[in-house]
Amino acid sequence: MHDSGSPQNGHSADLPVDEITCQQFVELVTEYFEGALQARTLSQVEEHLVLCDWCVTYLEQMQATIGALGELREEPSPEPPDSVLAALRERSVGGA
Amino acid sequence: MQPESAVAPARVAFSDEHTLAALRAGDERAFRDLFARSYPMMKRVARTYVASDAVAEEIVQETWMAIVTGLDRFEGRSALGTWIFSILTNQAKTHSARERRAVPFSCVAPGDGEEPAVDPDRFQTDDDAWPGHWATPPRPWQKPDRRLLSLETRDRLKAALAQLPERQRVIVGLRDVEGHSAEEVCGLLGLSQENQRVLLHRGRSRLRAVLEEYLDVADV
Repeated sequence: MHDSGSPQNGHSADLPVDEITCQQFVELVTEYFEGALQARTLSQVEEHLVLCDWCVTYLEQMQATIGALGELREEPSPEPPDSVLAALRERSVGGA
Repeated sequence: MQPESAVAPARVAFSDEHTLAALRAGDERAFRDLFARSYPMMKRVARTYVASDAVAEEIVQETWMAIVTGLDRFEGRSALGTWIFSILTNQAKTHSARERRAVPFSCVAPGDGEEPAVDPDRFQTDDDAWPGHWATPPRPWQKPDRRLLSLETRDRLKAALAQLPERQRVIVGLRDVEGHSAEEVCGLLGLSQENQRVLLHRGRSRLRAVLEEYLDVADV
């Protein structure tokens, strides 16, 4: 799957600066969604997604998680309590 | 082009001057509208301070009483939403016996320690062929459909959300459940964008891992 940028000697510190790893990618996902990545990092992320189906899967899982959270949204709000409405009505009676 | 935030629905905006004027005039319709729109968020926040839904509801009701009777005292130096939020958290703290709730939200709290988004065991080490790349890659979940929205999945997710450290729990709740914007949440909680992002990232990462564990097993 990956045919470019493999480190010559196995040390991550020597990765070509243009590439990010999957382990780095998963830490950047939130910033990616938020639109908070610097231009350079953004292009590295996008390049990585072109190359790595697994990280695309991870991204989709994250999107699905966020979507599922949206489904937890609660039911409609109750009525305001009478006491609070009474206090509010005091205001219009009292005038301003 | 970066994607829009993958979050859904309508956001509550406390649009200040108009709302404030309407409330001060005793405009019941404006008040009911604000009440209904704010209720889910307020209850969610209150709930993070206390052990039961019932007490959280009480706190929200008390908060609204304090807001309505305190409108004349509000000087408008902060945004209306921020003011409401601070009343809410004060009310919640008077109910809460837990001492750590006295720490201002913007301070570092236990449970906020460094944690990777994914277990490092899932990645190849320096001794492997592709350090930093997946060793145990994620498998596609069933297409977002019945399974992801099933009752049991919902319950699992809800339980996992409730177990997040406090700040992650509140932020994921406000952002992803209730649909508030980053700006709104930062304003409400007194956090920088970056801090908010970090907490959101950690919370979401944990929840994704919970869902993955559940869905991978369920798939078999």
